[in-house]
Amino acid sequence: MTHDNFPCFIFDMILCCIRAERQKLAHSAIFPACILIPVIPVIMGTFNYLQNIEILKSQWYSLWTQLTLFYSTFFYAPLIALYCSYMWRLEHRNNNWNVFMSAPVHISCLYLGKLAVILFVTLITQFWLGILYLIAGKLAGLPGLCPISIYFWLLRGTIAAVAIGALQLLLSMVIRSFSVPIGIALIGSVMGMLIANKGLGLFWPYSLMLMGMNSNKSTDSLAGNSLVFAIATFLFFLLFFLVAIKILENRDVQT
Amino acid sequence: MLSTLQRRLWAEQKKSKHRRIWLIPFAFFLFEALWMIWQFTSAHTEELTTGYLMLFYDLPIINTIIMPIMVAVIASRLCDMEIKGETLKLLYTLQEPESFFDCKYLAGAKYLFFFTAGHSILILASGRIFHFGYSLKISMLIEYLAVTLCTSLVLLALQQMMSLISNSQIMPLTVGLAGSFLGLFSLFFPAPLARLVIWGYFAAFPCVKMDWDRATRITEFYEVPFPLVGFLIFAVFGILLFIICRIIVTRKEI
Repeated sequence: MTHDNFPCFIFDMILCCIRAERQKLAHSAIFPACILIPVIPVIMGTFNYLQNIEILKSQWYSLWTQLTLFYSTFFYAPLIALYCSYMWRLEHRNNNWNVFMSAPVHISCLYLGKLAVILFVTLITQFWLGILYLIAGKLAGLPGLCPISIYFWLLRGTIAAVAIGALQLLLSMVIRSFSVPIGIALIGSVMGMLIANKGLGLFWPYSLMLMGMNSNKSTDSLAGNSLVFAIATFLFFLLFFLVAIKILENRDVQT
Repeated sequence: MLSTLQRRLWAEQKKSKHRRIWLIPFAFFLFEALWMIWQFTSAHTEELTTGYLMLFYDLPIINTIIMPIMVAVIASRLCDMEIKGETLKLLYTLQEPESFFDCKYLAGAKYLFFFTAGHSILILASGRIFHFGYSLKISMLIEYLAVTLCTSLVLLALQQMMSLISNSQIMPLTVGLAGSFLGLFSLFFPAPLARLVIWGYFAAFPCVKMDWDRATRITEFYEVPFPLVGFLIFAVFGILLFIICRIIVTRKEI
């Protein structure tokens, strides 16, 4: 099979895979989870902020610390793990592995298609979190609009999801259980907090999310290091992507 | 000669063979052990004198974060095989749905029992290794283990019900995740409101409380009487919840 314009051909294949994955997600239970889960940290974070308003003086930034304290430390990665498990569950059931592995596209396109959809859902989650944060801030009586830097931190947290999405897709692909990868994500996140506190967060993928979102901090902990953060995220993504492709190329079809 | 119940439990055991479900509580247990090592190796000598009190204060909070998800994962792992394999139709011709629910529940409870028992070893070992100042009060250990086991068993009934009635495991896992969230935040709620969140009950019956002096930044742990009546009421509620969950599952059309 020869193609005059090979990069475009690959790009078309990835787009085909993304369309297919999006169709698989239609009417799925992922979207209620994506909408409902962020509501809880926002309500709780705002409640906590209002309870401690006399010591939390940095207004929008203080609200951000309360909101991200638990969301990005404990629940962001398990939420992405939930999305990834759902994406692979469809293939693990009803002999769908046969169809999946025999699709007329390169195996990397299948993986990237899934990852792209995961990132899309994560983007919706983060965007929704941003809206909720704004509403919560106004309800808590904070003046004006929230600082633009907070939306930059939200975006940075979404970029970190590239590495975690790739890792969790790999785990959910190899571990044919829906729930075990979610448990792993929780343990990874808690360890991520400890590792980030030791200053080694760039070497542990689960720490990237809380560092990217500047969790529980009112000043940017990654100031001047955003490029290093982006490189670490890309390297982790590349590592997990290559391992996943290697496994998919070498494993036999399992049903 | 094996009794009917024993045979059914044995069947559950065989179904779980090679599924390595024990790895789930073991991984969480290992995580807690690592957390303890990290906590106590970086602690000052004077902090170690109240080591047991610190543990009985901190462990319920850690449990509130990790155990709702651990229980959701165990229940999902045990029940998903029936959903994936569409085995309920066949199973219900071989045994009563109630008995199936009970055996499944006991299969999950086994892991929670060993996990909780492991905690007692962890606590005792910490005391020995890090040379805690005061001796361990056995009554406190029993109270802690009872609360941990009872709360996780109540959550298991809820998670098992959800895992058996939902075709996709996304709903029970989302509830487990949200429960972990709610449980953690319920610790900041006023007591009457916190009582409405069952995921927060790991830390709802404290035998140790903490007093942090903002001026001196000194943390002091002190013992409080165990709220036995409240705990017994919760246990009764747990039994009722188990019965309700069982009714929901057995009435589900398959």
